[in-house]
Amino acid sequence: MKEPKLLSELKAETEKCVRCGTCRSICPTFRVIGRETASARGKLSLIRAYREGEIGLTENYLRHIKECTLCGGCRDACPSGVDTVEVFQAARADAVAREGLPFAASFVLKNMLDYTTLSARALKFVTRFKGLVFKDSATEHGLLSRFSLPLIGNNRLVPELADTFFLDLPEVKRLAANPGTGRAGGAGAERAGKKTARVAFYAGCGVNFLMPNVGVASIKAVQKTDSEVVVPPGQVCCGMPAFYMGDVETARALAFKNLEAFEAVEADYIATSCATCSHGLKNVFRKLLSSEDPALEKRVDAFCSRVRDITELLAGELRFEGGGKGRDRQVVTYHDPCHLNRNQGIRSQPRELLKGTADLEFREMKFPCSCCGLGGGLSLFNYDLSMEIAERKAESIRATGADVVATACPGCIVQLRDALHRYGVRAKVAHVVELL
Amino acid sequence: MLNDTVKKELERIVGRGNASFEKEDLICYSYDATNTLYAPDAVVFPRTAEEVSLIVKMANSEGFPVIPRGAGTGFTGGSVPVVGGVVVSLERMKDVIEIDAENLTAVVEPGVVLWEFQQELEKFSLFYPPDPTSLKFSTIGGNIAECAGGPRAVKYGVTRDYVLGLEVVLPTGEIINTGTRTIKGVVGYDLTRLIIGSEGTLGVVTRATLRLLPMPESTRTLLALFPEIKDAARAVSSIIKARIIPSTLELMDSTSVKCASEHAEVGLPKEGSVLLIEVDGNAASVEKEAGEIENICRDSGASVVHRATDKKEVKNLWKARRAVSAALFRARPNKINEDVVVPRSEVPALIGGIEEIGRELNLLIACFGHAGDGNIHVNVMYDRKDEREARAAEEAVRRVFELTLKLNGTISGEHGVGTTKAAYIGMELSPNAIDAMKRIKNALDPKGVMNPGKIFPVIEKDERTEATK
Repeated sequence: MKEPKLLSELKAETEKCVRCGTCRSICPTFRVIGRETASARGKLSLIRAYREGEIGLTENYLRHIKECTLCGGCRDACPSGVDTVEVFQAARADAVAREGLPFAASFVLKNMLDYTTLSARALKFVTRFKGLVFKDSATEHGLLSRFSLPLIGNNRLVPELADTFFLDLPEVKRLAANPGTGRAGGAGAERAGKKTARVAFYAGCGVNFLMPNVGVASIKAVQKTDSEVVVPPGQVCCGMPAFYMGDVETARALAFKNLEAFEAVEADYIATSCATCSHGLKNVFRKLLSSEDPALEKRVDAFCSRVRDITELLAGELRFEGGGKGRDRQVVTYHDPCHLNRNQGIRSQPRELLKGTADLEFREMKFPCSCCGLGGGLSLFNYDLSMEIAERKAESIRATGADVVATACPGCIVQLRDALHRYGVRAKVAHVVELL
Repeated sequence: MLNDTVKKELERIVGRGNASFEKEDLICYSYDATNTLYAPDAVVFPRTAEEVSLIVKMANSEGFPVIPRGAGTGFTGGSVPVVGGVVVSLERMKDVIEIDAENLTAVVEPGVVLWEFQQELEKFSLFYPPDPTSLKFSTIGGNIAECAGGPRAVKYGVTRDYVLGLEVVLPTGEIINTGTRTIKGVVGYDLTRLIIGSEGTLGVVTRATLRLLPMPESTRTLLALFPEIKDAARAVSSIIKARIIPSTLELMDSTSVKCASEHAEVGLPKEGSVLLIEVDGNAASVEKEAGEIENICRDSGASVVHRATDKKEVKNLWKARRAVSAALFRARPNKINEDVVVPRSEVPALIGGIEEIGRELNLLIACFGHAGDGNIHVNVMYDRKDEREARAAEEAVRRVFELTLKLNGTISGEHGVGTTKAAYIGMELSPNAIDAMKRIKNALDPKGVMNPGKIFPVIEKDERTEATK
């Protein structure tokens, strides 16, 4: 386990770039902006110039390192193996450490406090959340910055806040089992040749505040496999939004809270229906909670090794068997969330689940793995650019003629809904679990 | 340095936001894939030939260098502003203007990315063969300026074989059209061919008329593994000797194979040398040729010959092959990348000779590339900080060039001369030939504004190394 590296520790990593230009072929941001400064090769050159004192934390530098969804496409394509995401991440953290508020503000606060451009609907929303912007409340910070909710432009589709949050739903509260009680199966129990398991469900901000139905569908799908579901009450934001913007301390504090909340329920698996959360809990936690203390290391490892994305768990260990629901036949296509595909290698599982559902006809879109444009805080920092990136995705979806586009990340769902609305594509957007 | 009037005028020509003098932009337009850094004084993003023309005219009147640039992915410094000046980035001129399926021609702007153009053509079952390794990100303008080749050259030739005509902004600013829209055409000098491969020293290509082929009906991909590199080299000569012209015949030596398989788990073996072979044409002949090639490889000492079974496998093999050049940095931190060519029958002699040079100088030299047309990418691996290795690497390059020329080859097949090979062109070209080229250059570019410092050894090599980061 290694802590997130500081920019100063990434000299060698940055200099591994030989400027071959391969990153230009894959970067969704470069595709839209069309200039070298937007390519990973350009960004690495700027970061190097900054490190060597050739340029300071200039407005241009900050803008360029923020023009990135951190999708990881360039990292995966790089023949020299530069971990671009780690370097860009460190560059952002470095800027936050040095600039403090102004940098973070350019991401979050500046935009959020600009009430003058808000529509009535958003105003209602902001009124509800106004206090939270100022509070040092990490969970809401995650929600707001990740989904950039109060930021309204023309013709923008804003997700509605759920009437009752997922974690407040009575049927969910009933699953907030006390540690060690009401245990139905346990890891070793067998029923009808299937292992039944105890699955702790992690909601995440997207599911909790915006899409409780995705959480409910996830729980139902797990229960259908005769496994037991618990929803630990003390869970908070996974901290990834804070981490991606360079606020490592907030992310670390949140990670601890979640660790404790889930240790309390002794589950076999920790499942979530958010690609970003599952990547965070499964991988980034190891960095955030890295420690010299072997006891803590052990706890973290026990936690991280149990984390599964919901599609991974259903198609894998739980061997979910779908079946039509007597609905009309629908054509479905699938969008790969970067945090699922690139960071966890989960590609086939969601497709298997969809293909195994009787009333769905699966059609692959072109460029299913290209980023929707939301990530890395880009939607918040530069909404127009984020939407321009989403245009290709919308057109790919249109070309399939699909009735519904499935994905496995609330962030992608928000972005895709907005993009399909903007570009006049009729397909609905749903989480994979909602279609099973 | 540019004065404020010049800056203002540049901005007026290309429009606000399309000219930059900001340090951050200049840093990002200071390099290509040679990884050397020379910041320009400005970078401009014109949209039309007329805008390019105005910029070049101004360069003549104000006396600043103009450096045309596509995607900046060249291997010899062709688009690097070694003496400063104004980088003319053609990234905004990226329209495919016309695909004429009836006459098998297309008209494109220089900033079109090769792969995207080829994707467009696929819709019409048409085919533009040049396929430099950088095809997914390099631009057609850059391909033309460098006369890019690629694996398919063994059967289909190189960029120059597919360019019918050009629109060019001359170094003095006039816009001219060269060539034709027809296969034949002999009216006047062949300026098209003069411009192709001139590395941006004789003008800026602003539009190109390209020749297309029908898409081959079927393709077969084979991978042959050889424990001994010399046997792989021998197989290459034997395939050609058997009068089979594969559409690609690629060689990767053991170092290349090792580095590429570290980059991507794509089914490459971890040891030994590899030939990646493709045949295309009608289904029956492809099957027959693939069978013959398989036999030749086995007879030459291949331990394994494998036929790719699906598209994904083919894609992965090519992904690995394309990654080799950059992946080699896993072996040593620096490299000198040369792309010598010898007559195909001499490939075994070249490979053997290079092995010997590596042994004598105690250096790792990786060989891979387009063995089928005799074009071998010789990568001398070293550590710049290690004085012995750095000196030995320079010596190795000289010896590789000597060997190549002795075998009746040429010191560059497709990368061009740029800055990195300028010091060596005298080894291949006679003083009179160089002088003839210089007279052409001076006639077209009397003020020397167009991409100075390239091809001809004007800058002392030592100074250049000094400035290289």
